[in-house]
Formats: sequence, C-alpha cells, structure tokens
Amino acid sequence: MNADRGPAPAFRALQRAIVRRRVEALEPVLRLELAAIAALAGGFVFWQARLPLDHAARAGGAPDAAGALAARLALLALAGAALAAGRHAWVLREGPPGPPWLALPIPPAALAGHLAWASSLHALWVAVPAVAVLAAGFGLVPVAWLAGLAAAFAAALWGLARAAIAATTALAVVAAEPRRGAPALHRVLARAPRRARGARMPAARFRGGPAWRAMARKDVRVTARPGPARARARAAAACAALAAAAWAPGLERGLAPTAGAALSLFAGALVAQWLVALAGADPPGIVRALPLGTRDMWGVRAGWAVAAALVLAALQAPALAALARDGAAMLLAVAGGGSLAVGLLGASLAVSLHPRTDHARRLLGLWLGLALAASLMIPLLGWVVLLAALAHALRRVPRWRAPEAA
Amino acid sequence: MRLRLASLTRRYGALVALDGVSLEAAPGEIVGLLGANGAGKSTLLRTVAGLQPPDAGRVWVDGVDLEADPVGARRRLGYAAEEPSFYEELSGGEHLAFTADVHGLPPAEAGARAADLAARLGLAGRLDEPVRRWSHGMRKKLSFACAVLHRPPVVLCDEALESFDAAAALAAKDELRARARAGAAVLFSSHVTETMERLCDRVVLLHLGRVVGVVPRAAWGRPDDGPSPLEREFLSLLRSPTGGPAA
Repeated sequence: MNADRGPAPAFRALQRAIVRRRVEALEPVLRLELAAIAALAGGFVFWQARLPLDHAARAGGAPDAAGALAARLALLALAGAALAAGRHAWVLREGPPGPPWLALPIPPAALAGHLAWASSLHALWVAVPAVAVLAAGFGLVPVAWLAGLAAAFAAALWGLARAAIAATTALAVVAAEPRRGAPALHRVLARAPRRARGARMPAARFRGGPAWRAMARKDVRVTARPGPARARARAAAACAALAAAAWAPGLERGLAPTAGAALSLFAGALVAQWLVALAGADPPGIVRALPLGTRDMWGVRAGWAVAAALVLAALQAPALAALARDGAAMLLAVAGGGSLAVGLLGASLAVSLHPRTDHARRLLGLWLGLALAASLMIPLLGWVVLLAALAHALRRVPRWRAPEAA
Repeated sequence: MRLRLASLTRRYGALVALDGVSLEAAPGEIVGLLGANGAGKSTLLRTVAGLQPPDAGRVWVDGVDLEADPVGARRRLGYAAEEPSFYEELSGGEHLAFTADVHGLPPAEAGARAADLAARLGLAGRLDEPVRRWSHGMRKKLSFACAVLHRPPVVLCDEALESFDAAAALAAKDELRARARAGAAVLFSSHVTETMERLCDRVVLLHLGRVVGVVPRAAWGRPDDGPSPLEREFLSLLRSPTGGPAA
C-alpha cells in the first residue's frame, strides 16, 4: 500500500480483481444456465407487469403508465436495498470474508467503504426484474421517459442500498460492546468471531446397530441442521404439500390430476436434489476411510427415494375416489413411479460421482430436462429417456468402491 | 504383518507420486514416514486408507486385501488426516458417535471410550458444538480421536499431531504407544523429527515417491519416551492452581 495515497487505490484494484474473478469463476455452461434462469424470471416479471401497465396506459395515457412503472421500480429499489442490508448484517455478525482486516493498517473509514461496496453488490439481484419491468413499458411509455426512469432507478438503488448499509452498520455499532479508544467498526468486527462460537447441540448418543442405520440417522441429522440438504428437503416438502393441495375441496377438479401429477414429479426432482445434497455433505476423507460399502451408501439413499415416492403417491390418494380406476392408476403411477425413478436417479448419480456433487447435480438436471423435452415432443418418450438414464446410473453405482478422484 | 504394501504406485498425470513403494509394519511396531514436502507421504497414507486407488500394487490391512475387500480392510484401520474434513452440520460428539456406530461398537463401550479420548485430548466440554466452529487444532484432535476410537489393528497418522497443543500431543503419543503395545501397527508421518525420534521404532525415508532408506531406532538411540523438559514445565503450569487442571 502506498502510504502517501492511502488505501483507496489498493481497494479499487482489489474490487476490480474480485469482480473479474467472480465472472471468470462462472463456467461457460453455468453462464448459459444463469442466463436461461434470468430469461425465465425476466419473462415471468414482464408478463406480470405488462398487463397492469397496459391497463394504466389505456385508462390515463402515458403519464399513468409511467407512474405505475415508477412505483414498481421504487419497490424493486427498496427490495435491492433490503438485500444489501441483509448481507451487510450477516457480514458484520459472522465476520467479513478476506484477510484478517483488523490486523492490517487500514483506516476504519476505508475498510467500512470496502465492506459497504461488497454488500451493495447484492442489490444488483433486482436488476433482472427491473429490466423486465422497463421492457414491459415499451410502447406504453415514451422511450425518453423510460431512459429517465432507468437512470432514476439506478440512482435510487445505489442511494437506498448505501443508506440501508449505513443504517445496518449504525445498528451494529450500537449493539457492540463499548471499548475506549477502539473505532466503532473495529468494535463490531472484533465481536464477530466471538459471537460465532458457543452454539450448542444436543449431546451425542451412541446407539450401535448396523452401519446403514448409522448413515440413515446421520442423514436425518444433516437434513435437520441449516445447510443445502435442509433447503432442498424443505422445498421438496412444500412441493409435495402443493401436490396434495391440488385435491383440496373447492378447487377446480378438472385440473387436479394434471396439477397433482406435475407437482408430484417436481417434488420427486427436489427429493433427488436433496439426495445429491446429502451425498455432497459426505466428506470423502471420512466416508471413504470408514467401512461403508455400496449397500450402506447407496442403499440408504435409495431407501429415502422409495419412502419419498410412497409419501408422494399416498398424497394423491384422494384421486382414487375422484377419478375413474384407469385415471387413478395412471396418476399414482406418475406420482409414485415417476418420483421413485427420479429419486433413484439422483441417489445413484450422487453415489457414483461422489465427491463431485456439482457434476451429479448437473447430470441430474440434464437428464430431467431431456426427459421433459422428450415428453413434450412425443408422449411417453420422456419415460424412455428417464428409465434409460436410471439404468445407466444404476450400472455406475458399484464405482463407489473404487473412486476415480476422491 | 499388520500392514503390507507391495509395489504401490500412484500417478497424478505425468507426476509419479508413489513409485513402487513396498513396506511392512509388524504388530506392535510404530513406523515413521519421513520426507520433504511432495515426497509422497500423504499420497501413500491416503492410498492405504482407501481414499484413492493405486495405479499398481497392492495393500493388505491385517491380512485383508484392500482392493478385494475394501470394507473389511477399512474396518481394520483408523486414519487421522492431515487436513480433516467433517460433516460441518454435526457436532464433535455426533462425529464420534457416527464413527463408533459405523464400526459397530457397543454403545456403552463406545461412549466411555469417546469420553476418555475427548478428555485426554482436551475436547471435553466442546463436543456439543458444531465442528464448523472449531479451530484447526481441535478438528485434528477430533480426526485423531475418530481414528483410534475403535482400537484398530492398523493406525494411519498423516501429520496428525501437528497443531496439537503440548498436553494433547503427549496424550496422543501415549495413545499410539498403547495401541502398539496392544498389537496394532502404526504408520506415522510427520515433519517433526523430534516426534519421530521419541515415538517411532523405525523410520522409512521417502523421496520423490520412492523409499530411499530405512533407519532403525538403534541408529538414533532411545530418548526418554516421556515429556521433554519444556513440556514438563508447561504441564506443571497447567496443573498449578492458577493455570487450572491439565486436559
């Protein structure tokens, strides 16, 4: 660091490097995936915004449409600021990423500025819906007005995010222990590592029994604690509840079989993702050095897939009363059999590709995407694709015994 | 022989990390692995532990062929990693319980053994915390405890005692000697020659993936197995009324 110029040039260089590295870290395939997700989300927001804006334009002309557009952009700017503030609160609580900042000769204001910059990047998540909302205004609001609204949105997002971050910092400073002579930010950051310790869990219990049962109990505990496995399990449970709700009294019965089947399959896909996340939590240094065979590793996860499929099929039981026998059988086959195949596919990919969880997740997504596309083109072809994928993945399961690159 | 390696070879692309290493460890023997960074010590131990397959050669753990019966071989060994990884969501106690259950230890015996190891290694009182909050030294102690929990006939230690505090290092060395006295073979890698001199019966020198020499204990004499003068001073301070009881 050049003492004459202060740390500002060093931080600017660091921030440029961080942005560059984050972009470089995205593989080409991942960039395409993110672009596809952004396009889907943007398209959804576009259609949600277009109809009300069109209604406003018909009722009060361009000024009314511009007002409605500005209101939506203001909400998005507030949401972006909230995201940045939430991230900043987390950073101050858990400690900022990077070097041991407090050990470096950096003025507190410069460090605060850098941490605020890093947190403010999270406000950019609202850029996608904002672009979609602005696109929804095309043809309803003059282009010059749209340009002005876009500039105003960018300025509001930046200003609100910085204000929210400053407020978060001020709150953290108030909550920090008073310490004479220590700068406010240093008091907050010095507290972060201490606060991160001390959480306690229930005392461990030694139960004995076969190894597969120990694996199953461990899977339950890992799912119960915060982490990717719990997030996937919760999403699957929510989707399964929605699938059951398709048969709730008062809803359109004609749509129930399709909605129930589709949501059950989607829940099955989320169960498969949960199984991949569980395998991703398995440290190679532990599970490969322990006497755990294919039966323990794959058998337990396959067991979870079977249990989930049974639950998903049971949740469609109301169809037995509401549908003809053939229709009910078809629905149960899709809800139970389809989700079983998808779950087993996830379990098999996760075990055979362990510890490459990202590969398992992508391969699962690829197979499911192919099956869906095949189903849309030719009825039942999706099942052929899915079962072929499952057969291929099952053949690879014994690779657990001989890892290629553990 | 408790542990037998025959012409073990492991390559990483063009790099030959292990080049036909053959090695044996008898019951009750503590064999040291000494070598510079990149000599192949960790690769050797990871391969013997079953974490990665050899490109050639075979490993027998307590007479069980690692390739033919990997689960049976792993049942007979304990592996303390250089950079241990854990289920970050679980507590230290839950890891010990999981390890004991996978090895099929009787619950009461496993609980008593885990509590004893935790107390001696200075982990008691922290076992109910998630391991993601633990320091590097505590994680290495937990890895060591998991490796010896089931009293395996073969113990593999990959720089396992580095990052241990003095009291825990002494306790761990005592545990390894006790395992050896009970008939286990210990394969112990370290950069700390003083630890090797005090602990090992024989030291195998690795260089660029090859065994370049074997030094018997007679070559460096038999230093006192107990703590060094500095360690004795440190332990007495820990046991003093102001320092509190030693772990």
